Amino acid sequence: MDITRALDISAAGMTVQTSRLRVIAENLANQDTTGSTPGAAPYRRKTVTFANHMDQTTGVDLVEVARVSHDQSEFPLKYDPSHPAADARGYVRTPNVNSFIEVMDMREAERSYNANLTVMQSTRGMLQRTIDYLK
Amino acid sequence: MDLSDVPLFALADRRLAWVSARQTLLAENVANADTPHWQSRDLKPFAASLAQAGVEMVRTDPAHLAPASGGGLGTQQGIFERAPDGNAVSLDKELVKIADTDGVHELVTNLTKKYLGLVRTTIGR
Repeated sequence: MDITRALDISAAGMTVQTSRLRVIAENLANQDTTGSTPGAAPYRRKTVTFANHMDQTTGVDLVEVARVSHDQSEFPLKYDPSHPAADARGYVRTPNVNSFIEVMDMREAERSYNANLTVMQSTRGMLQRTIDYLK
Repeated sequence: MDLSDVPLFALADRRLAWVSARQTLLAENVANADTPHWQSRDLKPFAASLAQAGVEMVRTDPAHLAPASGGGLGTQQGIFERAPDGNAVSLDKELVKIADTDGVHELVTNLTKKYLGLVRTTIGR
């Protein structure tokens, strides 16, 4: 049935937004994770990209996580000679996570999730009204 | 009596099919609100698709040859804004369309129910 596929599509949309939130949580939790040996690389920020994929069993185009990649931007340096990860000049490489960006991304994921939920509610209402014909 | 021979039921049938196809498309747009290069899609208005049967091509580029009449599935023409990743879905616009589709569905189901009630009255039940 056509309209139940709309439910599948919305559900897939919610799933990818959840994976996105998981990656954001990972980034935020690791925003202070540095290396433990001198000059070691700290935590590198992760990013998510989505793509459309045709689901073989239902024949619908569902959205899915295309890949989780690493943000290749520079690590900010912090002067802290007593830190175990400090290099010869006393600088520590810190994660390239910007909490403002992550929080904005989180709001966006939340908004998209809500939009999918609204569509799902509307679709459910339609199904319900169709079933009400039987009453 | 075959109910689908009654014009109102036949029309309601087509309208509901249109509504569910549109809902599926709009759900796809919302689910892909963060997919790079995704263009939002929509159906042609019901009145236009009622005039002819089947699905025809739509002009998405002025260089295309014009179809003889209307069209079916199409990529939205007036793009409101486009994100740097090429995504052109505007969530609020899509949700307005969802609300519209929902309203149409409610109208059609209510009308059909009312008419079914009339049929029941005539057969005395």
